[in-house]
Amino acid sequence: MVTRLYGAVCIDGVRKTEVRDLFLEGEMIRSELATRTRIDSEYKLDNHIVVSGGIDLHTHIGGGKVNIARLLLPDLVNHRNPNSDRMAAEQPWLKPLSSPVPGTWETGRRYLEIGYTACFEPALLPANARHSHAEMADTPWLDTGGYLLLGNDRLLLEWIRDGVPQEQINAYVGWMVHAHQCCAVKVVNAGGIDAFKFNQRHLSVDDSHVHLGITPRQILNALSQAVDSLQLAHPLHVHCSNLGLAGNIAATMATIDAVEGRRLHLTHAQFHCYGKDGPHGYSSAARELADRVNADPNLSIDVGQVQFGQTVTLSGDTMHQFANRKLARPRKAIFQDLECQAGCGVLPFRYRQDQYVHGLLWSIGLELFLRIEDPQHVFLTTDHPNGAPFTSYPHLIRLLMDYDYRMSIFSRLHPDVQKSSPLPSLTREYSLEEIIKMTRLGPAKALGLNNRGSLCDGKLADIVVYESCENPEQMFSQPKMVFRRGQLVYRDGVFLADSIKSTIVSSVEIEPQMDAMLKKIWRTRYGYSTEMISVRTGELQSERRIVEEN
Amino acid sequence: MICPFCSLLCDADDLNQVCCRRRESSLVEVTKMRSWHGSSILDSESVSNAINALRSATRILVTGRISSVQTARAAVAFAAKYNATIDCAEGGHAFKNILAIQRSGLNSVSLAEARDHSDVLIVVGDDQLLAKVPRIPSALANEKSVKQTVLLLGDFSEASMSIWREAGFDVWFVPCEMNAVPTALAQWSRWSDSNRDSLSAAGPLFEKLAQARYTTVLWSAENLQIENADLWVERMLQWIATRNENTRCAALAWSSLDGTFQQVCTWLTGFPGRIAFLARTPEYDPCRFSYQEWLAKKPTTDKRKSVLVVIDETASATPFFKVSDLPTDTQVIEVTANSKTFPTAIAGVEIAADIFRADQTLLARVEPSIEPRSYAKSAPHWLEALSRW
Repeated sequence: MVTRLYGAVCIDGVRKTEVRDLFLEGEMIRSELATRTRIDSEYKLDNHIVVSGGIDLHTHIGGGKVNIARLLLPDLVNHRNPNSDRMAAEQPWLKPLSSPVPGTWETGRRYLEIGYTACFEPALLPANARHSHAEMADTPWLDTGGYLLLGNDRLLLEWIRDGVPQEQINAYVGWMVHAHQCCAVKVVNAGGIDAFKFNQRHLSVDDSHVHLGITPRQILNALSQAVDSLQLAHPLHVHCSNLGLAGNIAATMATIDAVEGRRLHLTHAQFHCYGKDGPHGYSSAARELADRVNADPNLSIDVGQVQFGQTVTLSGDTMHQFANRKLARPRKAIFQDLECQAGCGVLPFRYRQDQYVHGLLWSIGLELFLRIEDPQHVFLTTDHPNGAPFTSYPHLIRLLMDYDYRMSIFSRLHPDVQKSSPLPSLTREYSLEEIIKMTRLGPAKALGLNNRGSLCDGKLADIVVYESCENPEQMFSQPKMVFRRGQLVYRDGVFLADSIKSTIVSSVEIEPQMDAMLKKIWRTRYGYSTEMISVRTGELQSERRIVEEN
Repeated sequence: MICPFCSLLCDADDLNQVCCRRRESSLVEVTKMRSWHGSSILDSESVSNAINALRSATRILVTGRISSVQTARAAVAFAAKYNATIDCAEGGHAFKNILAIQRSGLNSVSLAEARDHSDVLIVVGDDQLLAKVPRIPSALANEKSVKQTVLLLGDFSEASMSIWREAGFDVWFVPCEMNAVPTALAQWSRWSDSNRDSLSAAGPLFEKLAQARYTTVLWSAENLQIENADLWVERMLQWIATRNENTRCAALAWSSLDGTFQQVCTWLTGFPGRIAFLARTPEYDPCRFSYQEWLAKKPTTDKRKSVLVVIDETASATPFFKVSDLPTDTQVIEVTANSKTFPTAIAGVEIAADIFRADQTLLARVEPSIEPRSYAKSAPHWLEALSRW
């Protein structure tokens, strides 16, 4: 099957943005075809742009906490009138999710509708690995992968306390990544989730775990060494200590220092760069973090932008989710302590634009986007659904591309935010090329997805066609066409076909000695064998699902 | 492995190894392969007849005992295809917990965490708890030098207590009515909060409870045979939430094999079971869409055609409803583990299947250890066949 797209402006941030022909041959992109190749279908796309499929490197789409959030919140579901509010009537391209955490069918459909073709679950609890993979397998159209949640697994923490050799930790991390079929390693509030199980309510980077006596700094250092030693494509993916607390920029800087110059990705960084100044003892420290990112090629972030409205926050960071329990709207929450590995906290939340702190979070996220110079070091996320549902990405893109529009929203915020925020002074407007780099090329590079992220010859033919429009929100909300592996699966609001899906995993050799050791430990500690929880490659493969290595 | 009979993790290497009396009796049942009441419909004509019944039906319920991810997926897709109502037959138990959680939230702990970390267990129920999950005391006992304390509240016999003792627990028993447990715990909390200095005078049990570092409160929904059990669960959850203001305390609300169905249905549709599909869009109503409610509907005068699709991939010999209880206009299509109807192999016994542990945290793959009957196919196979038209 060969498809020719012509007349459209091709944008990928690698080659010059210009009108050129693009060929989809089988599953691949070709810039040229061999002579006499028969073209099966052609699309004339004047006044359109063509980009590769979007890649969301941090979105909660599968696993225990997502499902427990769905179970908790049937009252937030509105299937019947998704477009009933006034805003939606004025902007008919807006199609809100039926719930902050919809089922997998809706999630896959809605991601495709905004031009995304690969999404990564950033907190895959080892004990939930098979569940998470099964859930992501049921999310149609999307290639998926998971980051393994470590750094609160009691076994690792005890080994760090006991001063085992770093090689043993490296082998353990490799075994865990392999056994649970993940493509990266994530740390959430290093040591803090476990400390909360011992009733410790606060743990900053150099504080000691009340029971084990180790510090988050030691955990971060050991894990970053392991990730580098195993040569995982994605750097250690870190949710810092002190989530959401005023003055937490100090802990964020200490986290960066803890890995001693190794590669590091800070996730939902917006929630981790607050000062203690300002009219309510809460201020922006975005400049400090942005300066650090701009100066350090080994450091990247995703933002976790907040948008106003109802959502649900879900996180492995039980310690801080519990601390926020009284802020839950509606007033109910779930906290779980899980399998000596981590935990989870689920808290429904409503961000209000007339509330000082909420407005500040919104402006800090935008500050980070606007202050970080290289769009391949800052990624567009809302930490779905924590900051906002992923369906708000087109709106966020407009905020970044249109200063006047940004200021029109800013003018509705709490007066103290308007007085204290430096946002009006940041006049930068993102170009289309920068948006495409931030949502395609950058995440592909950060995850080691060498066959995705651009329109270059030989890349996978996951292609999105948008009709050019002055309003980028409108444009990014309704692609004209989406191709998956060269096959047209979506056109003008109609889903035409299912598609092959990939599960992205990291290839890691496991050490037989570690295998034997963990078999023994698992049985005594957890009461079951490692064979039972290990996910085999064959399980991930099915007729329409393949396994790829990053 | 996860035992397909009790949904607990089992150290037994294969299913033929009898590790508890529940498994022993269940295996006997598997070998008998009991029959349902249905007529023989194994040929293609039967499939075609079933499809015709489904196509002309105005009211369809999909229900049964579904214990694997694979069958749960197929059942939900089947219900969506036919705009049917779906509710697991054991949903009545699961919803005692689910309704309470949806109103008040939850502080919970998983089995391995409780085993490793909890120093005090409060177990609420009666001897039936151990009949259903005989190995739970040994699954919760750790090998640490300090003995864990278990406080049994409810109606436990000496035999039950000795099982906990043999597992290594320091056992205390306070007989009481189940209904009274939440109130008693709340009263104890108030008393101990205001008498912190004289706890030792109140006796060693009070002292142990008050000094607990991490308390786990265990009950089984299946074992809660009380009126308005969801309100009971809600009061227990509120007590646990209050305890967490100062110390750590969590529920281990034991479910049953239907936990797998509830999880899968939730991730596919956004809701736990008890949904009806209207134009393939799920609508959730835990009261209106229960299978008991569906069965209780009286025959109507407008000749509406009702079809009941029963899926059973467990080894249980006890049917969960009587044919005589069905509305008179109801046709039944059975996809069950027997030789008379669409015969399905049993998940976790005859076919490999993914099953959640009953605390719904750990999903494990259960490999078969008994050869499937030559004519038996998996439940998803039949559900897909019935969806093709």
